[in-house]
Amino acid sequence: MSTAIEVGALTMSYAERHVLKGVDFEVKSGEVFCLLGPNGAGKTTTVEILEGFRQRTGGTVTVLGMDPQAQPVRLRERIGIVLQECGFPRQARVAELIDSWRAYYRKPRALADLLSVVELTEDRNVQVRRLSGGQRRRLDLALALAGDPDLIFLDEPTTGFDPESRRRCWAAIENLRALGKTILLTTHYLDEAERLADRVAILQGGRIQVAGSVRHVARQAGVKTKIKFAAPERVRDGSVAPPSCLGVVVSGEVAVCQTENSATALRELLGWAAANNLGDLDDLSVETPTLEDAYLHLVTGGLN
Amino acid sequence: MLEQRSFWRSAEYALFTFALPIALLLLIGSTTATGDLPGTRVAGQMIFVPSIIAFGVIVAAYVNLGAKLATLRHDGVLKRIRTTPLPAGAYLSGVLGSTAATTLAITASIMAIGAFAFHAVPRAGGLPELAGGLALGVLCFGALGLALSAVAGSAESAAPIANASYLPLAIMSGIFDPTFPVPHWLSAAVGVFPVRALAQILQQSYTPVAHAPLTDLLVLLAWTAAGCGFAAWRFKWH
Repeated sequence: MSTAIEVGALTMSYAERHVLKGVDFEVKSGEVFCLLGPNGAGKTTTVEILEGFRQRTGGTVTVLGMDPQAQPVRLRERIGIVLQECGFPRQARVAELIDSWRAYYRKPRALADLLSVVELTEDRNVQVRRLSGGQRRRLDLALALAGDPDLIFLDEPTTGFDPESRRRCWAAIENLRALGKTILLTTHYLDEAERLADRVAILQGGRIQVAGSVRHVARQAGVKTKIKFAAPERVRDGSVAPPSCLGVVVSGEVAVCQTENSATALRELLGWAAANNLGDLDDLSVETPTLEDAYLHLVTGGLN
Repeated sequence: MLEQRSFWRSAEYALFTFALPIALLLLIGSTTATGDLPGTRVAGQMIFVPSIIAFGVIVAAYVNLGAKLATLRHDGVLKRIRTTPLPAGAYLSGVLGSTAATTLAITASIMAIGAFAFHAVPRAGGLPELAGGLALGVLCFGALGLALSAVAGSAESAAPIANASYLPLAIMSGIFDPTFPVPHWLSAAVGVFPVRALAQILQQSYTPVAHAPLTDLLVLLAWTAAGCGFAAWRFKWH
């Protein structure tokens, strides 16, 4: 698999403020890569450097084999950018706006294709100002795709959406992945990253703290799998002690144990329940760590 | 071209840009501007019609373009344009081209009405002044429109700033009434600005009047340079 984006020892300083202190990551062709991090961590700065809008202070950046600050126009032929809060000309209609955008590229994608990828075919003659928030966002996406880009930058694609609009936007993004496009996504929604991203990277304090698949990131963060069950009465009144090696914590009616190896822990737990005649453990659940757990653990130092 | 279609769909722009010069042309042209200019045998309309052409250029290129760019910036459309491979210069040239097309349409309407209603037609051999004046006028006031959009802090303030800056000059320059009496010092002051310069060049294309075409040309060129310089310095895409 080839590499779409390669960033090495990237630094960026504004006067005395060092925003990026040596950022390293790479994005493979055809993957959805999500850049996460708290506000002010330097996500926007990083993305703007990759898009060729900002001159870096140091380090190397290669996007689709080009240096963005050396060849911004050539690069923009092959990338699509969805920015936050970009408007449309007030009187334009959907299809004619997309068409006028296609004229800015040498090898544009067919209009009908663009309309169908973002599910706006039926709204093609609607005036842009009459579109809903979700439709406008999908039109954003259609304009970014007008040049049939290999790489797409998506900045907070679903901020402020209702659940239905979010799902439709996600479906559009998944369509793009199916077409083999590379996508760099920034978002505040961890469920969105978990749902869409092949790999994530967490940017904090001007550096990438951890990067990899969601599972890898969760493991790196040291977040354990939680096993929960309804504490049997004899455990609650103290007549049966929970298995000591699992570190079960009973609070109220719920017993929780945290483990790195859920299969072993479950076997032990069920063995213990059988040996003590506790029957089936009610409400037994195994919660593998979510990206949100891992993120909060890493970003806030586990304050949760 | 989307720009042109948008123009016609935006009722306020179309109304302001087209209807205002034409309404003034008909109203003033059939009342105040009738009769010969004092001390000459030249009909007032021979001066008045080209003056209104100049007015149309200013409204289309300066007021309309400045307000439009300020709105596009406010709406984030300019920012979005920057994400495409279209070079900045090519986009601005396109916008200026669209403005030129609008200006030509207004000019044609004014000339047709002038000829039909007031028998005011350009003189034989007046074409260089007419074509040159229009081209330079669009360029100069277009550059000033770019500068205006850079000065205007918001989309709402662009049109008031535009009107406040050119309207007093237009009145003092005698655009609406060539016999408008102004003191000598004020006339000299007004001569520094491009409004009267453009009007006089266009008037030359209708009737030979005793002006200094070279001075007018230099004034327009100087303001074009100033507008471009200011825009290059302060024009922002977001």
